[in-house]
Amino acid sequence: MSANYGPGSRPDARAGIGLRAPHVGELLATRPAVPWFEVHPENYMMGGATLASLETARRDYPVSFHGVGLSLGSAGKIDRRHLERLKTLADRIEPCLVSEHLSWSTSGGAYLNHLLPLPYTDETLAVVASHIHEVQESLGQSILIENPSSYLRFRQSTIPEPEFLAELARRTGCGLLCDVNNIYVTAWNLGLDAIAYLGALPTATVGEMHLAGHARNDADGQTILIDDHGSRVAPPVWTLYHEALLRFGPVPTLIEWDTDIPELPILLAEARTADGFLEAARARDGHARAA
Amino acid sequence: MAFSRRPELEMVMLALHDLQRLFKDGLLADDEETILAHVAGDGLDPQARLAIYRHHVLTTLTTTLESAFPVVCQLVNKRFFAYSADAFIRQHPPAGPCLVEYGALFPEFLEGFPPCQGHPYLPDVARLEWAVHQAAQAAQVAEVRPLDRARFDAIPLDDLPGLRFSMEPTLSYVSSPWPVDKIWRTHQDGAEPPELLDLSAGGTCLEVRALGDGVSVRVLDPAAYALRHALAVGVTIEKAAGEALAADPSYDLIAAIQQLLQDQLFTDFTPSI
Repeated sequence: MSANYGPGSRPDARAGIGLRAPHVGELLATRPAVPWFEVHPENYMMGGATLASLETARRDYPVSFHGVGLSLGSAGKIDRRHLERLKTLADRIEPCLVSEHLSWSTSGGAYLNHLLPLPYTDETLAVVASHIHEVQESLGQSILIENPSSYLRFRQSTIPEPEFLAELARRTGCGLLCDVNNIYVTAWNLGLDAIAYLGALPTATVGEMHLAGHARNDADGQTILIDDHGSRVAPPVWTLYHEALLRFGPVPTLIEWDTDIPELPILLAEARTADGFLEAARARDGHARAA
Repeated sequence: MAFSRRPELEMVMLALHDLQRLFKDGLLADDEETILAHVAGDGLDPQARLAIYRHHVLTTLTTTLESAFPVVCQLVNKRFFAYSADAFIRQHPPAGPCLVEYGALFPEFLEGFPPCQGHPYLPDVARLEWAVHQAAQAAQVAEVRPLDRARFDAIPLDDLPGLRFSMEPTLSYVSSPWPVDKIWRTHQDGAEPPELLDLSAGGTCLEVRALGDGVSVRVLDPAAYALRHALAVGVTIEKAAGEALAADPSYDLIAAIQQLLQDQLFTDFTPSI
């Protein structure tokens, strides 16, 4: 295994892509210059040929884990079996980053395969913080928490989402994964100010950013944005990404594309676009330091 | 921002545990009145907001089931499959986040699902598909080594009847009064277009396992099926042999055990307690 990107290390502030089944053969055969890959660890927990292909990729590339199954926001206990499987896989692959979501999926033994919304209250804060502690302790590394894309808000919420995330980082030492598309989608769907949202996130905690496409759906005559990861990044999300880079500086960024997965060159071109933004951010950083 | 620092005035605060239970009921059981009272409208009917989540959960799980049961899906058509899947998901949502493991109960569900009664072979086709799906997902070799032949040969003859075997972990056995293997094969990619299948052609006994890069589906005679299936569920050789002989009194047990070793189906053994 490459020693450069062991657990908890940070990949270069360049644009990675998701390692998706339709591309694996081509990627392993052509070895394009991708700075890092991200995977959902849940897809590799059964072992077999899929895990073997991930291990092959890992020999040449840093790999980041983006979990969807821990259900950090569930009122109940963390699923120890799932956490152990994650730990076993992490020991084997040595991911450079491990991230999860500010959401819940499990209730009463049922796993609802969605990143479901939380009421932002003091009780929820205590629950999520304790689950993050447990996961970080078990993995022996700090994790990043991603802001979800939301389609509803609970009336009992008392804490704005970015402040909720900031407080989680303060209590647990976790970092934040700033999903720029999710901020855009949530702000649209719930009537929030996306720029103000970015401004409320603590800059030093953001360790990764995500970009993805979204769909526009009609719901009762209203336009609702659906975070479907099924197209190119939308122009206003690029604009918001520019704002995020101004605030957070160059941060490793992932292009997520999980449905209607395109040919590999299209995905790589999207990553190059993000790299252009990152290059400009590095130049700004350099100027700022020189000044 | 649309967040307020205090919960809205007339609101009863739900504990997180209760809120999540009600949300789940709202998604799966359409019992949504209670949870909707806790959802802000923000310019859109809360019911429409909840429906976005429900739609995602049901459609992605339906896709998961379609990929595990592609032949069942072809046999009944996509729309009816989605209708069955919807009812199944609401009754048996996944228990964990590894969705390749989701669907084990689907064959049994189809058996008891009244709209499927006109297709009595469907649950067994689903059982075969689940066996193939599991074998395709399961760990391929690496950690699994077949039983060392020398270890087997060293077992004293008197101890043999009481032995129980651990079997190759991707193995499944499926039997049916319907020709489900023929149904399954004619619906594989690249197969000849389905001819008219004679459903009264009789049943079948099948052994499914991962083999090389693929999955092997093999037809067994009833005695071999009885022996192997019994060993796979963990009974002693003596008891398994009894079941094989009940299926075929002239069955050659010595040759059958040799064949099991040759097929590398044993991984270990334990003496009878």
